[in-house]
Amino acid sequence: MNSIIERIEKEIAAWAPEVGAEEVGVVRATGDGIAEIDGLEKAVLSEMVLFDPTFDRTLTEALADPNPIYGLILNLEEDGVRAVILGDASKIYEGMLVRRLNRLLSISVGPELVGRVVNPLGEPVDGKGPTKAKEERPIEREAYGVIDRAPVNVPLHTGIKAVDAMIPIGRGQRELIIGDRGTGKTTIAIDTIINQKSESATTRPICIYVAIGQKESKTAKLVAELAARGAMEYSIVVTAPASSPAALQFLAPFAGATIGEYFMEQGKDALVVYDDLSKQAVAYRQLALLLRRPPGREAYPGDIFYLHSRLLERAAKLSKEKGGGSLTALPIIETQEGDVSAYIPTNVISITDGQIYLETNLFNKGQRPAINVGISVSRVGSSAQTKAMKKVAGKIKLELAQFRELEAFMQFSSDLDPETKKRIDAGRRMTEILNQGRGVPLPFEMEAAIIFTATSGYLNSFAPEEIKEVEEKLRDYLYREAGGVLAAIKESREIREETEKTLREKLDAFVAQHKN
Amino acid sequence: MIDTYTRILEAAAEVEDKEASDAAVTKLIMHLKSMGRLKMLPQIARELRKVAARRAARRPVIEVAHHKEAAAALRAAAAAGISASHTSVNHGLIHGWRARSHGRLIDHSAKRALLTIYQTVTR
Repeated sequence: MNSIIERIEKEIAAWAPEVGAEEVGVVRATGDGIAEIDGLEKAVLSEMVLFDPTFDRTLTEALADPNPIYGLILNLEEDGVRAVILGDASKIYEGMLVRRLNRLLSISVGPELVGRVVNPLGEPVDGKGPTKAKEERPIEREAYGVIDRAPVNVPLHTGIKAVDAMIPIGRGQRELIIGDRGTGKTTIAIDTIINQKSESATTRPICIYVAIGQKESKTAKLVAELAARGAMEYSIVVTAPASSPAALQFLAPFAGATIGEYFMEQGKDALVVYDDLSKQAVAYRQLALLLRRPPGREAYPGDIFYLHSRLLERAAKLSKEKGGGSLTALPIIETQEGDVSAYIPTNVISITDGQIYLETNLFNKGQRPAINVGISVSRVGSSAQTKAMKKVAGKIKLELAQFRELEAFMQFSSDLDPETKKRIDAGRRMTEILNQGRGVPLPFEMEAAIIFTATSGYLNSFAPEEIKEVEEKLRDYLYREAGGVLAAIKESREIREETEKTLREKLDAFVAQHKN
Repeated sequence: MIDTYTRILEAAAEVEDKEASDAAVTKLIMHLKSMGRLKMLPQIARELRKVAARRAARRPVIEVAHHKEAAAALRAAAAAGISASHTSVNHGLIHGWRARSHGRLIDHSAKRALLTIYQTVTR
């Protein structure tokens, strides 16, 4: 109690009346989360304002509900401004005083946020108290220019064999995950976050998961899963649930990018997942229509492309002079009925450095992840792929594409020549090997060893139906008997001659042991 | 259209000569009648009321917590650039004064100070 009294007395003693004038406006009209404000002549775009409920109340009334409500100016007009309300809009009334805060919308950033769940304003929503983050940064800023960037050449392992082998992602890259609802888009992102646990503490990226317009139960489940797998130790969750105002859903990805940039500028690596940008686009469309901006295609405003391009441009690999940090972005887009040619999907496809396309048909066939290898691509990732993975996975994509063609042909012909049958079996085996359930990302060295086994023909003596079981046994066997080989691959990031020789010996022994 | 007519009348209201401004209103009514757009008149009146309310909100207002602080408040506000002929009493301020004019606010009240302290301590 004494400490509180002391603190209050200290504040009273330190108080000096502020003589300076501040610029204020008055709410002219409010509705649908938008406030029309008279005045604020010198206000600038993206500036924060404070709706002051205490101005025309007595002190007792004011103390009963002292929490300020913030707004964000999005329209500058002739006789006032229009702002989106970043809080409970029902508390805003006509004639309410609005103060300029003379600062752009900012959030607190720093290592104190790691392990926390925050809203797009940086306020904690996990019930663990204040975040204690000291540094504040504006959420909108210009992306780094060409001079400050370095080529993407360090891999970011997702732990998913199909992705790491065929659609490799580099640190600083923007790889879109696209597909219909329920095809496993979030699973790929979450598995990637979980897989970072296998990285050493020095190279492990800080992971930021931005949930936009998601059900709160889904986000709670994801946070629990990340915590259970020990991934919250290096993760931050930014959430703007479906029940939050459209303004917060529109701001959430920018908040995630700002948090990620902080770590990037510290010379560290960061990974940010935007789940998903379709919902952000819908929230932005809602805001734009309420702000009476002219609607364009599909009623989206004219600057919807710029919204996503300025966000995704913030993903970068910085040059050595700038500390060498990186911010990798995994935006997610939900398609309707597999239509990748819709407005928002085509926009984001053209902005990103590649896409992982997930298909409902493949998902229903039991393929996990349900990646359509034909139209999935990584435009810069191959230069970030490790030598080991390049060596073992070089031809997989081509072989799988050939297999898919043959598979289609096979439906019309029952009598196949031995060579075609052999190819089809090999394709089936490879498909089985690349099949990977949720929540089991593999360390890079294990992925390389398994794919090496498959591409070198060691599994040819097994029927495609047996592959799943054989792979499990192989993993156990490699962990048990080939620890040295795995360690060598992990350390050197390649399969050297010596290592390959030992691995082949171990695999020969494994096949001899398990062959029917 | 309504905006244009409102602006014309707003400009007419600025003119000191009352007869001239009355004449402007009469002319506008005649014009609307001849165009068959007399229906717009209530909307124009509504817009003008909004403009008047907006202007009233921008007039200098000086509030004090007690009558005895009025003279000092007027002097201090004038020094800070807000001049008014009188003050109004607002007991909710507890102590001190606050002045508002043309989108500028100077809050010298104890209520604001106490709220600032409360927010700092409880943050």
